[in-house]
Amino acid sequence: MAKTEAKPKLKLAVYWGAACGGCCVSVLDVHEKLFTVLEHADLVFWPIALDIKYKDVKAMPDGHIDLTLFNGAVRNSENEEMAKLLRKKTKVLVAYGSCAHMGGIPGLANFSSKEEIFSRVYEESESTINPDKIRPVPEFEVKEGILDIPVFYNDVRTLDQVVNVDYYLPGCPPQTERLVEVFLAIVTGAELPPAGSVIGALNKTQCDECERKQTEDKSISEFKRPIDIVDDGESCFLEQGVICMGPATRGGCDVRCIEGNAPCRGCYGPPDDIPDPGSKMLSAVGTIIKGNNESEINATVDTIDDPAGLFYRFSLPNSILRRKVL
Amino acid sequence: MMEDTRIGLYVCWCGTNIAKMVDVEQVAKELGDLPNVVLSKTYKYMCSDPGQDMIIQDIQENNLNRVVVAACSPRIHELTFRRALANAGLNPYMFQMANIREQVSWVHTDREEATKKAKSLIAGAISRVAYHEALEKRTVEIDPATLILGGGIAGMSAALEIADAGKQVYLVEKKAQLGGQLLQVDLTFPFMYSAQQLRQMIIEKVVQHPNIQVFNNQVVEEVNGYIGNFSTQIKNGKKKETELKFGNVIVATGLKAFDPQGIEAYAYGKFPNVITSLEFEKMLLKGKIQTKEGKVPKNIAIIHCVGSRNKDYHEYCSRTCCMTALKFANQLKSAIPDSNVYELYADMRSFGKGCEELYTKTSTKGVTFLMFDQQDKLPEVIKAGKNDGCEMLIQMDEKLSGEEVEIPADLIVLMVGMEAHEDAKKTGHSVGISLCGNSFYIEKHPKLDPVATTTDGVYIVGNCQGPKDIPDSICQAKAAAARILGTINKKQVEIEVTTAFANEELCCGCQTCVQVCPYTALSYEEEKNISVVNEALCKGCGTCGSACPCGAISSRHFTDKQILSQIEGLMEMILQEEISEN
Repeated sequence: MAKTEAKPKLKLAVYWGAACGGCCVSVLDVHEKLFTVLEHADLVFWPIALDIKYKDVKAMPDGHIDLTLFNGAVRNSENEEMAKLLRKKTKVLVAYGSCAHMGGIPGLANFSSKEEIFSRVYEESESTINPDKIRPVPEFEVKEGILDIPVFYNDVRTLDQVVNVDYYLPGCPPQTERLVEVFLAIVTGAELPPAGSVIGALNKTQCDECERKQTEDKSISEFKRPIDIVDDGESCFLEQGVICMGPATRGGCDVRCIEGNAPCRGCYGPPDDIPDPGSKMLSAVGTIIKGNNESEINATVDTIDDPAGLFYRFSLPNSILRRKVL
Repeated sequence: MMEDTRIGLYVCWCGTNIAKMVDVEQVAKELGDLPNVVLSKTYKYMCSDPGQDMIIQDIQENNLNRVVVAACSPRIHELTFRRALANAGLNPYMFQMANIREQVSWVHTDREEATKKAKSLIAGAISRVAYHEALEKRTVEIDPATLILGGGIAGMSAALEIADAGKQVYLVEKKAQLGGQLLQVDLTFPFMYSAQQLRQMIIEKVVQHPNIQVFNNQVVEEVNGYIGNFSTQIKNGKKKETELKFGNVIVATGLKAFDPQGIEAYAYGKFPNVITSLEFEKMLLKGKIQTKEGKVPKNIAIIHCVGSRNKDYHEYCSRTCCMTALKFANQLKSAIPDSNVYELYADMRSFGKGCEELYTKTSTKGVTFLMFDQQDKLPEVIKAGKNDGCEMLIQMDEKLSGEEVEIPADLIVLMVGMEAHEDAKKTGHSVGISLCGNSFYIEKHPKLDPVATTTDGVYIVGNCQGPKDIPDSICQAKAAAARILGTINKKQVEIEVTTAFANEELCCGCQTCVQVCPYTALSYEEEKNISVVNEALCKGCGTCGSACPCGAISSRHFTDKQILSQIEGLMEMILQEEISEN
């Protein structure tokens, strides 16, 4: 029976590494567009939604999956193993979201060592009672055999520090509209950008789209956290003393945070060619600090709350710093 | 990179300067194996003609397109080697120098460690040079006119020098009269020429000169442009504004006297017969030395270093007051021969032609010299008692004798120091020059280039650069004039190649760069919401590039890629060394 040959459906996978789950939810946020997606694609692996086991993935032939959206950073041996497995099984691997792209919020753990994290979490935290100081171990012998859990690494890594990545779709989480655009581009066979590109985002930074008013005269003698100001809703956050990562962050999110009267936190990452958005933003902030001498300048700098966490909120593992040297 | 990267590496012995502390052969051999390095050689003196010829020949025979020379500081021979590249038909910027002399052989004593360090520095240079881009020289035409700000002795001297050479000068003076500080001075030290005669002589020449246009009562608010092509708006007469165009600027805005009211010990403003040196000059100009009550003073005390050489006021020496004070003593002794003149000094500074002689001569005239300690305790002026026979007393610890003394005084002259004008910063900003810590204009190099500034085409002369006497001011004026005539004569000048450039595609219009540029080379273009670089003004300092948060601005020859690849090359070599050791 010769019917018009249906275009073969794309095989699509979504996976999470060290992530909060928000990226997976952002995929769900396509809402009814999911039907459009499913017209073109079969979901072959998606732990949050489908009961497909790792062994099923292992059983797939290499290159079987057309597109994998990998979200989350690489924090433990399971993340690493799955990244490598999916790389093998996938034609186009996309680092989806800030964590896979740059390390994201889990990447802030690179300001601490594994030992510091374990002693805080398993011994010192206010809600912990652990007089025997028991800590998780990767392998534990019970009478039925050996139980194992993934090995917790000292460093958080980005996806591309573990495997080759074809594209980066930034955001915490990425704008769902961008995902649909990218997906449809792949489906319709539109010309794809060169491998290694950031997709679904602009190369100009947030300020280009931001409609808040700015003047030439940015000069700040006290930095404030967003909760410390009554935002006038109109002026540039930096001019109000609140650090907004907008100048060093690529656009593409429709300035969503700023539209919601919150400063940009930098989840879309820097434009091309900026190796380290944190240091870029630091030097830009350095130019607007008021002060005629070192002590005045230091006093102003001291008003920046948690500068490392602020300037490297999403990008520490991907920055030149990569981690705190311990 | 479109073409293959073909690097030639040359390691210089510098005689034994480098070779004795760095194993140059080993360095050349090992680094010759790095990717893209086509050949690697050592030579006794790379900077010599045979050394340069070797590079030229290798470029031509081996199609080298990049060159690294490991030798001395680039400050010494970077230009030499760039020229060699140019002679071989290669763009001179396809070159990187690794300094293994000043930074390695001269400062280390362990040959093995020094060799390792040399290798790292060279590996960085090799890694960097692969990303170098060809840059082209640019020149701009020079407008032969010159703008001079300030009609004092320095400004007028410069004006005459340039005008006499047949070039147009626009001389702008803030006040109604030309002459600056000279207007307030009677005789000049140490030879007692009349300042007014000097002034009249020079003013006459200036105002009658066909090539000098004087603008009195005028202040220049803003100068636009860059070397060779400056312009400003100036009010001609009451309302009409004219545009002046000029190729160079001389700033000769002078300084002002220190106000002694803040020094309580001297009671200036409290006792009418405590006056400043300028007020005393006025008496001398009038030819009548007298107290406020109209009496001829019998006891006159002259206090030095008022506001100078004192950390509470100005730490610097005002340079002219000691000699002026001696001049006063001489003038007093000839005007009132039986007067008692006291010089209260902290240190006698009598440098300069004829000045020590003036001191020696004055000390034979019955003038009493008393020394005080500027840091410890200033002399204190108090009201005299009824039986003291004078109006005021000065109490002081005399440093040389170690005794407390009281000096009677009917008239006290305070030798006030010199300080920058309040509007020095504003004036500096209008022409794009900066101030040093004492608010005097800062020169390009304090020793080697004392009249130029970091802004090409803008020169500083006279007291606005720091307190000085008339001959020094005139020397600077004429030096700047010579520099300017030199550039006018060349008709064009080469400008910086390693400038910043902005990528419109990336610029988000945040204007961070506009605020940080010390040369006013960046401006904001509202229509397109982008910043633009005026490359004729840019000096390639890189401040804008490092401040630009969106990566739109890069500095030619110092791109992020170039700098980071240099660091990577350097670190990689260090890591390799460590790995091979362990």
